[in-house]
Amino acid sequence: MRFVNRLVLFLFMLISHLVGAQLLDKDDESKLYAETKQVNQFFRRFNGEEDEKGDRYYPKDKQYRSEKLRKKYIGILFDASNRNVSAELKTQFIKDVLDKTEPAILDFHGGSWFAEVNTTFAMEGKSEPVTLFMELEQDHLGSKWVISKVHANMFESYFKRDTTKVGKFLHPLSHELDFMNLRRAFSYTDSASQFTVKRFVPDHLSVFLYEIKKGNLKFRTVEQLKFHFFQINGWYFELSEFNRPGYNTGWLISNLVMVNNESEKNLLLKYLYYEGK
Amino acid sequence: MINYKNIYALLFGLLIIGNVAAQKDDVSPERKQAIDSLALEKVRDLSKYISIIGSKKTPFSEAQRVMDRAEELFATDSEMGVSSLNRKEITYYKVRKYFDRLMALNYDRVTISWYDIHYISDLERQPDGRYVGVVTIYQKFEGVSDDGMKYKDTTKKDITIYVERKKTQIQGRTIEFWDVLLGDIRVTETRA
Repeated sequence: MRFVNRLVLFLFMLISHLVGAQLLDKDDESKLYAETKQVNQFFRRFNGEEDEKGDRYYPKDKQYRSEKLRKKYIGILFDASNRNVSAELKTQFIKDVLDKTEPAILDFHGGSWFAEVNTTFAMEGKSEPVTLFMELEQDHLGSKWVISKVHANMFESYFKRDTTKVGKFLHPLSHELDFMNLRRAFSYTDSASQFTVKRFVPDHLSVFLYEIKKGNLKFRTVEQLKFHFFQINGWYFELSEFNRPGYNTGWLISNLVMVNNESEKNLLLKYLYYEGK
Repeated sequence: MINYKNIYALLFGLLIIGNVAAQKDDVSPERKQAIDSLALEKVRDLSKYISIIGSKKTPFSEAQRVMDRAEELFATDSEMGVSSLNRKEITYYKVRKYFDRLMALNYDRVTISWYDIHYISDLERQPDGRYVGVVTIYQKFEGVSDDGMKYKDTTKKDITIYVERKKTQIQGRTIEFWDVLLGDIRVTETRA
């Protein structure tokens, strides 16, 4: 077994040599080390689960999730150019996260975080933006990303209705005539939404699936990606990717909000899902 | 060119004989490190192949052969999703098409080099039981035309790796080993 180990090591060294990778500028390299290169690295740095070179720490390691290490990392996980997040707010957040009795740890499979994927689809040939909200779901032996909601401006017109005006309606004795006035009601495609119940909430995901099934909607590309986190008790933060020169790059916290209660959280969620707009 | 793929698989398989039963669903830290090494070797092979395919000194027939070898590293239907600083929209290429385009680039001299840096994600289990991870590497490209026109870029390559436990029979004994295949690659031009 020892011989095999040595042989493997020798082969690895030989191959590394054969690759002959030309080593590049050390300054550039240090910037690439500083970059939070993957969302996975954001999790590990936030939790204090890896060293400066990105090698993982495990529970048996002294440094694993140590307060000192986490303090060092969390400070650099913010987009430093964002003046909308005050230094006081960051300090309060870091204090809460590193609380000695109950430190907050991000959990990949812990729920309460989701992706917002800004995409472009072609609707009958015309480019249209479509936002997909995605979350992780357990399935069979593992997990997968699934679409939880969709928002597309092009679908808004399907549901447009003005509830402040009297508008079109089916009178209250329509039933006595076997709703024969439905013929007139549906003769104008634009006004069909006026005949729905007030509590009706449009669901873009259903329309999205329908249009794809009908062959009207074709995927083109992903434009932008960000993540929304509600995993830290009392806080919301947004995670975005920054591709720019310098050391403050990669996946960084681009927004931070203190969430005092469930109703504030729901309001914020409604805003993120474009439901309150 | 020596085919290291089978050697790695065999050696790796031999390394884990005896403690297969103890490991059913989770990947232990020790196993993860071994899988990381295997994945990195595949990624290094790919880096080497890309440099050969891109080089103008490589004869056409040799480039074709290397492309065949490079394709063997990938799971079927793998794609490269490419975007640049000027063109945010992702363009999708099948792996072979990407290599063809790389070979046909209109420069007289091409230098492809790699930063000595990589990042390996945790492994996550998919619904089908296979594990998936992402290895990030950085490439520096320089193309020069005879008239002196120069193009340079640095790209970040996020490479999907699929890790699967497989079984093989050697002299009547069942040996389990972990195999690594490359999957989709996201290529972004970086300003960092």
